[in-house]
Amino acid sequence: MKVEAGQELPELVKHPTTRQLVQYAGAQGDFYEIHYDQAYAQSVALPGVILHGLLKASFLGQLVTDWLGDRGTLKTFEVSYRGIDQPGHPYRCRGRVTRVDGDEAELEVWGEDEAGKRTTVGTATVQIRA
Amino acid sequence: MSTTTSVVDRLRARIGVDGSAITAPVEAGHVKRFAEAIGDPNPRWSKEAPPTFLVALAPASLHLAEAEEYGKGWLNGGNRFEYFAPVRIGDTITATGRVADAYEKPGSTGNLLFIIFETDYVNQSGELVARLRGTAIRR
Repeated sequence: MKVEAGQELPELVKHPTTRQLVQYAGAQGDFYEIHYDQAYAQSVALPGVILHGLLKASFLGQLVTDWLGDRGTLKTFEVSYRGIDQPGHPYRCRGRVTRVDGDEAELEVWGEDEAGKRTTVGTATVQIRA
Repeated sequence: MSTTTSVVDRLRARIGVDGSAITAPVEAGHVKRFAEAIGDPNPRWSKEAPPTFLVALAPASLHLAEAEEYGKGWLNGGNRFEYFAPVRIGDTITATGRVADAYEKPGSTGNLLFIIFETDYVNQSGELVARLRGTAIRR
């Protein structure tokens, strides 16, 4: 399918659990306690354990690579974390094509919490294969 | 608040100075565990690394003991990956990180310390495969 501005990426809904945070902590090697130790998270004024920013980035990365398939290559991928997310709540990844210029396409991507608040926002650029 | 000023000054003195390089192989088992952890079943990850995998090869930010004197916790503000070449299973990647910037900014509940990290990832052929910029926040 041709990549055109305005196209929406098929959404990806993730259901993160504390178990997944522990699994991710091990796989990334990030053992910061706010991601698995409830008491520690609360001691630094968080409501409880929170998702790793980079786990949310990985979800949005999957959104882009699932959509792109073998049609092109990811060139840049940027995310800003605007809010915290907690396990036990669905995390909805969405995106759309904002611009196509020759073989390069720009995407807007974001992750929403249950209330529809964009807790992660980002952009990606991809090079489309001829 | 002379303590916090000196933390910022000490961090600023490190801007542009490379940390120790870390070399690590891109192992099939590690990539598989990473893909499972993020819940991405794409069969493509049996040959190459998913976009954010590089952070699992070496810490995404340098460990800065002086920064931990500031505030009580870390937050990740954002990450920007720039890709130049694919990262394949079997590659050996050398990561070199540095502080690109450090500054204090007022937040809604007091001042925050922002540290911008930059990491270059080079493969076994000396090719720059990716660059990561990360914003770490002390609150």
